[in-house]
Amino acid sequence: MQTSPTCTVAAALLAALATPALAQDLLVKAGRVVVAPGTTLENSALLVRDGKIAYVGKDIPAEARARARTVDLGDHTVSAGFVLAATTLDADADLGEGALAFTPDLRVAEAFDAWGKRLEHLAPHGVTSFGLTPSPRNVAGGIGILAKPGKDRGRVAEADAFVGFSLVRAARSQERDPTSLMGARAMLREAFDAARTGAEVGPDLAVLRQVMSGARRAVVYADTFAELNAALALGAQFNFAPVIIGGSEASKVVDKLAERSAGVVLGTMSPTNRIADLELPGKLAAAGVPFCFAGQPAQMRVSAALAVRHGLPREAAHAALTRTPATMLGRQAEVGSLRQGCSADFVVFDGDLLDLSARHVATWVDGVHVHGQSHSHSSKHSKASR
Amino acid sequence: MQSLRSRIVPALLATWMLSASGPNAQEPSAEKPNAQPERSESGNESSPSPQQEPRRGRRRAGARRRGLMVIEAGVVPPVSGPPIEDGVVVIRGERILAVGRQGELQLPPNTEVLQFPEGHVYPGLVDASTDAFTDAGLQKDGSLNGGSAISEALVWTGDRDDMLTEHGVTTAYINVRSSAQLRGQGAVVRPMRGGFELWEDREQAALQLRMAVGSGAQHPLQRQAQLTATGKLFDGLEEYRDGLEKFEKDLEKYNEEFEKYLDHHRKKSGKADKKPEEGEAKAAEEPKPSSESPPAEGRRRGRGPGGRRRPGGGGRDERAADPDTDRAAMEQTLATLLALLANEAEDAAGSQGSLRSSAPVARIEQDPAPQSKPPQGKPPQGKPPQGKESKDDKKKSDGPKRPKYPKKPRNDPQKDALAKVIDGAIPLRIEAHRVEELRAALRLQRDNDVPQIVLEQAYAAGLVADEIAEQGATVVLTNVMPNALGDAGDKRNPFAKFDLTKLPKQLEDAGVPFAIASGRARLASVLPLMGAAAVGGGISAEAALRAMTLTPAEILGVAEDTGSLTREKYADVLVTNGPLFASDTRVLLVLSKGRKEFERQ
Repeated sequence: MQTSPTCTVAAALLAALATPALAQDLLVKAGRVVVAPGTTLENSALLVRDGKIAYVGKDIPAEARARARTVDLGDHTVSAGFVLAATTLDADADLGEGALAFTPDLRVAEAFDAWGKRLEHLAPHGVTSFGLTPSPRNVAGGIGILAKPGKDRGRVAEADAFVGFSLVRAARSQERDPTSLMGARAMLREAFDAARTGAEVGPDLAVLRQVMSGARRAVVYADTFAELNAALALGAQFNFAPVIIGGSEASKVVDKLAERSAGVVLGTMSPTNRIADLELPGKLAAAGVPFCFAGQPAQMRVSAALAVRHGLPREAAHAALTRTPATMLGRQAEVGSLRQGCSADFVVFDGDLLDLSARHVATWVDGVHVHGQSHSHSSKHSKASR
Repeated sequence: MQSLRSRIVPALLATWMLSASGPNAQEPSAEKPNAQPERSESGNESSPSPQQEPRRGRRRAGARRRGLMVIEAGVVPPVSGPPIEDGVVVIRGERILAVGRQGELQLPPNTEVLQFPEGHVYPGLVDASTDAFTDAGLQKDGSLNGGSAISEALVWTGDRDDMLTEHGVTTAYINVRSSAQLRGQGAVVRPMRGGFELWEDREQAALQLRMAVGSGAQHPLQRQAQLTATGKLFDGLEEYRDGLEKFEKDLEKYNEEFEKYLDHHRKKSGKADKKPEEGEAKAAEEPKPSSESPPAEGRRRGRGPGGRRRPGGGGRDERAADPDTDRAAMEQTLATLLALLANEAEDAAGSQGSLRSSAPVARIEQDPAPQSKPPQGKPPQGKPPQGKESKDDKKKSDGPKRPKYPKKPRNDPQKDALAKVIDGAIPLRIEAHRVEELRAALRLQRDNDVPQIVLEQAYAAGLVADEIAEQGATVVLTNVMPNALGDAGDKRNPFAKFDLTKLPKQLEDAGVPFAIASGRARLASVLPLMGAAAVGGGISAEAALRAMTLTPAEILGVAEDTGSLTREKYADVLVTNGPLFASDTRVLLVLSKGRKEFERQ
């Protein structure tokens, strides 16, 4: 086999084009930089180096500032990109074993499709990283990942993240064990017991031991009062704070959630929801229960705006889109804020992103522009001129 | 937040009321905030005054006695003019007395002043489409037709769906969402705490037509067939109206002939005393104006200068000239005459006469087969007088023949509603989603010369905005939220590609007046978010506010009384703690006709 010279030249060219773009620092200037919920810098900038935030605001060395390629976002507001705490990207079938309900050592990373069509629907809605969970059809599904969309393909940011459990109806099947909520609870309890006593060994029980030691976060699909109680009881018995996914009846166990330091990943909120559902985020925030907005990527911002409309403070809503989900997945040092050392994942809006009057202008992932206007601020000007 | 205190200012109410010499006193337009003291240097001169002619019959007797209420706030966007910083709204009774800048209006002592230094004062929101106060069963009833008026079936249940005022909605149009093609007539209501009131003269505010094709049609050809069917909507209406007109004419002729007939017999019998003659004179005078007006009135009814029926104002006069009332008077007279005539014969006739006089007037309109029912003001063709009359006829065969009561055409409430639409008294509200449905709606308007149409759920309106503008149609937008119709990537959903937040901008560019409405009562709390989403889609905040206040008021035909903070309009006021379109803004106070309907504690 002979390599054609054209190919070699093309490859070299590609490499030459790609490398400097990453190597050169990027200075992102904006009217407002929301470094973290509640911390906003006016007329500030970020220095991006190798896809990460190297410096923020005044910390940027003058020399680095001078050398960097500048992207001026004008009057726009820059915030950390949204973190979608839990999703299966509609690939449930590939993220769950049909015949077995207890597979905590299976790896979602092995089924991740970096070119998946669903990845295209994330960045346009401001999502810059997401937790890909195993399917809720399995009581213990496997080890989830933190992944990111990209310009044309996604990537796995952390392949060995959290473990996913499920107590929802989908996890019970007449085809295999468990067939009931009782059975599901017993299955998990016995497995944790075995892992704790060390009576049995194996990769699956090793995962559970990590959960009990606090080395690995556990997310649990639970919706109804009974399922939520089961998840909280399991956490209490085996000494871990579960992150509840769904939690549609969470309003009934707010105090218990706070007591157990459990977090809640809320589903899509729709304007037609019951008023109690729309007020739930406000109640969770008041009780000190960490929560975040998930569900349909396209609706995350609308969910937050609806919650704010129904009583949630702005800062808490912003946290529930960025920092809280990152914390829930144990990745707050990497994503969810624009602090030094975090990934340069950010969204650009022409106002406060919690007001629907603000327009989503662009999304950047790892310091690369992936959606919207690259560095124009014409829309704000046209708005002002009206 | 809101402190309630009284102010002592030297000027007395009386002096204030009389000082009509301010520069704004010449302000002619009612659509501008009448008191615009910010233009003048001296506040003392610029006090608002009743420079305009008070509208007839508008102010209730008690209104004058009720005190003034003054609302001061950081920002007052009156909608009818530019926002006023540090504005003040003065309310007397149920109407707005003045809108201006703080400190430039002199307030009489003991005035109740509500202060919201950080607050914003907006006109009460006008929701151009909601399903509040309606019953789910009714909304699903496919057997409704154009004759059904939802105003007759409104109920207040007190659940979330009926809580409109606490979200600032002070006027709402109740939609009919039945699956029928002609769904019925919607109503304009004023929601209140613990109930609602129908907007007088707007109980039947629009006729609802469903032009969106149902699930039966799978492809454009089938849809086209369904749309062609709707094109026949007005078929037969001319004939129906001609029939009614002919009946009116026949009735007039009949009345005249019957008069002659009576005269003839009275003279012949020679027994008529003073009393019948008086009655006769009355009968001769009174029916005439009515006998001329009904047919004409029926056609032209309520067609104002703008082709739109004007609420209030002419309303009373119109009612006074109502053919029904005149016909009632005529009937009464006829009945008296008949009774007197019959008096000389048998006593049975007398009893019938009294029965006739007490017959409900309304029946003349509703009775489907008048021939079969005598108590109609038509002469009894039954036994008692007949014996006498036949005797008379035999004696005097040269006298006028007894006329025959004309046959009344079958009453059709749906056709009546369609007639109102054609006359421009009420708009035709058409639900049309797709481009071909919207074009069919516009064609329907063109082909039948429908004066006003309002398009609902017009998802594809952006693609035909110019055509809509050309025909002067208006649009009521609902679901103005991001991805309201589904994820844009969903290929199975034919509507997912329409971004409804961009639609207001597209319509604005084409010059189509549009309203942003909740569509559903439970979305009333989200209405400001919809406005915000429209701003996100490209229109200005002022335009979005107008689309939730003045424009819907115009579409509903109530803009004379609400929709902006303008002198003489109802004191429908919404006070918030921040800009309406910010997500965390809360409603602080809602006034409806000057009455506190909601107050945040």
